[in-house]
Amino acid sequence: MDRLRYIVEDALTNIRRSGWGGLASIGTIAVSFIIVGIFLIITGNLAAVVAEWKEQFQVTVFLEDGITAEQFALLKKRIQNEGAVKTMTYTSKAEALQQFKRELQGKESLLEGLGENPIPASLQLRIHETYQTPEALKQLTGSLGRLEGVEDVMYGQEWVDRVSSVIRLFRLLGLSVGLALGLASLLIVSNTIRLTVYARSEEIEIMRLVGASRLHIRAPFLLEGMIQGTLGASLALLLLFGAFRATLWQLQVTPGQVFGMGMGSFLEPRWAALMILAGAGVGAFGSLVSVGRFLRA
Amino acid sequence: MIQFFHVYKTFARDVEALVDINLQVQKGEFVFLVGPSGAGKTTLLRLIFCDELPTSGQILVNGRNVCKLPGRALPSLRRSIGVIFQDFKLLRDRSISDNLALVYRVLGIPSSIGKRKVATVLKMVGLSHKAQMVPYKLSGGEQQRVAIARALMSDPSLLLADEPTGDLDSDLAADVMRLLGEINTKGTTVIVATHDTNLVRDLGRRTLLLKAGRIVEDHP
Repeated sequence: MDRLRYIVEDALTNIRRSGWGGLASIGTIAVSFIIVGIFLIITGNLAAVVAEWKEQFQVTVFLEDGITAEQFALLKKRIQNEGAVKTMTYTSKAEALQQFKRELQGKESLLEGLGENPIPASLQLRIHETYQTPEALKQLTGSLGRLEGVEDVMYGQEWVDRVSSVIRLFRLLGLSVGLALGLASLLIVSNTIRLTVYARSEEIEIMRLVGASRLHIRAPFLLEGMIQGTLGASLALLLLFGAFRATLWQLQVTPGQVFGMGMGSFLEPRWAALMILAGAGVGAFGSLVSVGRFLRA
Repeated sequence: MIQFFHVYKTFARDVEALVDINLQVQKGEFVFLVGPSGAGKTTLLRLIFCDELPTSGQILVNGRNVCKLPGRALPSLRRSIGVIFQDFKLLRDRSISDNLALVYRVLGIPSSIGKRKVATVLKMVGLSHKAQMVPYKLSGGEQQRVAIARALMSDPSLLLADEPTGDLDSDLAADVMRLLGEINTKGTTVIVATHDTNLVRDLGRRTLLLKAGRIVEDHP
């Protein structure tokens, strides 16, 4: 019990004594985590946009005007049996015309003179996310286009291709940038902590010589590193949140409103918790590495 | 208590610090280790508390072979040995009592008992009234006595002192020697390394003379 109390007391005393050095450690961790945090917020929001976009994504199957009831029933059955199709909605010729008129808004006169309704009936298909790849879509639309009663199949081919490659690129970029940043912050932090440990090398030496166990020497530094890391990561989150709200306020929008999509949300709570945990981990690891150098014997 | 068997210590670039040292120190003895600077006195002391390992040979301390001691057994060996360092090794930013408290905290002794121990050893070295001062405000002789007090904190069975009178005038040096003698009379084995042969001459203690890493004389 006494040992534990001494370790906690020593860690707190160390933090108090470390002064600027300790603040530098906390500051370095905070800066590193702000960069990582910005990146996480951007990726999180982009992922939300992509998810939203994938949710909205649909393939439109235009039907021939002369399609018979049997053909239509058969076609619906065939489409429902496709594994890629999540849901299917039918838009009749009349509904499609109504919709088109609504979109023209005040320029309905353009449609005058058209005798017959020229807009075809259609089926809108929502596609499972796993099938939203260029290859799978090409295959799906190819087979749908050959079915009887189908006039044409449309989806944003170019869009799908482009977005797929952007997402791939972004994932790769995210992974490498995240890895590099994580490594860099670990290095910086362990170096900063090494400085504070170095400043106390005499104390470590004395502890060692009067018979302190390795654990007893390491534990206060470990705890100190964890506390500094936690404080650094928390500071980063606080500053990030402040900057985030200020940006939204500047843009005169509320969270979730940006671009009318999932954009504009802060870090998810589990990511924030993970960041604080990572801060504690980085601090502890940095301390361990630094103290280890003084503990040869 | 302490036995050296054909102990050699060679540092890098073939610097021979100790050559074929054979030595026995009994429990409760008071031994002077004299010789000029660089004779190997400090190295010999450091081998005893395992701050260095011998290049060859065996060393037994309290029946334990320190050359074969696993790392986790080192703390318990060091707790049984009090060391007074040549440069005192006091933490300059802490009060005298905090410097001493470091030891009982390291040993995990409850603070109520530890504080009593601090008071006892400070009284012993005559510095009770300066417990709250920082080391650099004390004189050299006082700092030396703080170092002695710290070495006594763990009630060691063996006390090693490296040049404990190094920078002191003869009166203060005699004071320190008297203090070490008192500690010895209470049963603690004491080994004192010094280059000051005048200090040793009249005390009538066992004296080992080291020259160029060899024990050349052993006066009982």
